[in-house]
Amino acid sequence: MSTLLTYIAVHDGKIKRSSLEVLSRCNELAAELGWESVALVLQPDATKAIEGLKPYGPAKIYTMSHPHFHQHLTTPLLRAIGHAVKEIQPRVVAFASTEGSKDLLGALSAAHGSAALPDMSEFSIDTEGVSGKRPVMAAKILSSVRADGSPVFVSVRSGSYNPEEREGEAAVQELSFSFNDADLRTTLREIVTATSDKIDLSEAETVIAAGRGVKDEEGRALIRELADVLQAGVGASRALTEAGIYDPSLQIGQTGKVVSPQLYIGVGISGAIQHVAGMSNSKVIVAINKDPDAPIFEIADYGIVGDLYKVLPPFIDEIRRIKSA
Amino acid sequence: MIHFYVCLKQVPDVYAPLQIKDGELIQDSGRMVLNAYDASALEEALVLTEKHGGKVTAVLAGPEKAKETLRKGLAMGADEGVHIVTEEGSAYDSLYYAGLLAAFFRDKEYHFISCGKQSQDTDAGLTGSMLAQLLELPYATNAVGLTLEDNRLLVKRQGDHGQEMIELPSPGLVTCSNDMNEPRIPSLKGIMQSKKKPVETIQASSLTGDGIRSVTTLLGYEEKPKREPGQKFEGDPEELAITIAGLLDSKENLM
Repeated sequence: MSTLLTYIAVHDGKIKRSSLEVLSRCNELAAELGWESVALVLQPDATKAIEGLKPYGPAKIYTMSHPHFHQHLTTPLLRAIGHAVKEIQPRVVAFASTEGSKDLLGALSAAHGSAALPDMSEFSIDTEGVSGKRPVMAAKILSSVRADGSPVFVSVRSGSYNPEEREGEAAVQELSFSFNDADLRTTLREIVTATSDKIDLSEAETVIAAGRGVKDEEGRALIRELADVLQAGVGASRALTEAGIYDPSLQIGQTGKVVSPQLYIGVGISGAIQHVAGMSNSKVIVAINKDPDAPIFEIADYGIVGDLYKVLPPFIDEIRRIKSA
Repeated sequence: MIHFYVCLKQVPDVYAPLQIKDGELIQDSGRMVLNAYDASALEEALVLTEKHGGKVTAVLAGPEKAKETLRKGLAMGADEGVHIVTEEGSAYDSLYYAGLLAAFFRDKEYHFISCGKQSQDTDAGLTGSMLAQLLELPYATNAVGLTLEDNRLLVKRQGDHGQEMIELPSPGLVTCSNDMNEPRIPSLKGIMQSKKKPVETIQASSLTGDGIRSVTTLLGYEEKPKREPGQKFEGDPEELAITIAGLLDSKENLM
């Protein structure tokens, strides 16, 4: 039987929602084709992820445990995934599109002499290969692409599919992995910054994005307050991350993170192409900007023309009132 | 003497208006530019070699008309150029270009190869790590800062949850984000000097290797599904705030 393998990303002990989205899509495709959808977890102790993964119904969970999987270390990850591919012989290896998978996809493809389809917004599988669509030209249009052969390495934009629980009892199989540190090649010296936000921006149901209009501490405090009331993740435009006002990990856009929340609220954001490329798939877009001609209003479902410093305080109060009602 | 090779790509200007006709992408302006991420990679190599001494070679794989982009790299300050000339109008994928570049680099000596982390037109971000894999080089992607330390490159890379400092030995490969620097605009003097700088021209067909093939097919282009037109509200800030919060609750059920 042919196999679809989903790589499961875990951060701080929590399975990434975007990985469950990809797994759910693979489950669905495997059911259509009469194939098997399986999952791979690489963690210091990968067995810890099993219980969280089971409800999402992979036929089998492969675990590989090694202390190096605590961090993103390129060489051990390439070796481990290469080893898993050899053992499992999947037709497709699917990843959530993250900085972590972006780092690996090209090398995996070249190592196997097979195709990679990165950052897909939708994909299908048939007996010959993989086809689907991906945004190009700063996400202004879609290209249709296809890759035949096996294995095809696919990465999928977050929010493209819904994570869905399903019946079934997954079998668990441990794959052995050993690594000689002399083979590390690169050295991770330190983690320079780490975002302290409890809500992962790329997975948040609600995202507040701050732009150039957020000028000072007072503006930042308002963004924080709004995010707290809505239990939202906070992101920022490139202008604000480059100016050091927000952490670079929080940049939304072509260069940074892609978000596709249920609700996106852009505050003081003009809507430059490079930012829109990272948020245009949000379900409901609210924009607050004092410039009535800001391009963000062209894609906003609700555009508020006004000074964020005057709009946000009553907006926060009203949301708080609605929430407590 | 540190030697950088920087890989450049010519891309259509993503900011110019474009349309789709019969599945083909049409840009009226036809404006082609140096990929912004590659420009950042070149800028950083120039800064490091200006500081520590060394040489920067710009390498571009693309059709004849892409030579102007290689010239721009020389005008910015690269010491020499290599143009790997590909067939006009052919749709090659990342693995093809990585294979071509790997065949070129196979017998070369260098400290580091630097590339943009992705190209602005496709955003695929594959070629850099493919090339590293084909050349069996250690690599780091998505660099937002580079420092040279005893012929080793300290790469500050943007990860999913923070920044990591990675030590990359030589020879190695790094891919660069445009968050690293503001690439210089070529000066008039730079443009004049670029005309005298050596450019080696190599026909792609003369490079051979197992990896030089495309493994994906581009089937066509289409418009993104249009968003329903929204509403713009103007007026008293407090009233607006209450109205919109109410709509998000009652109409969108998002509260």
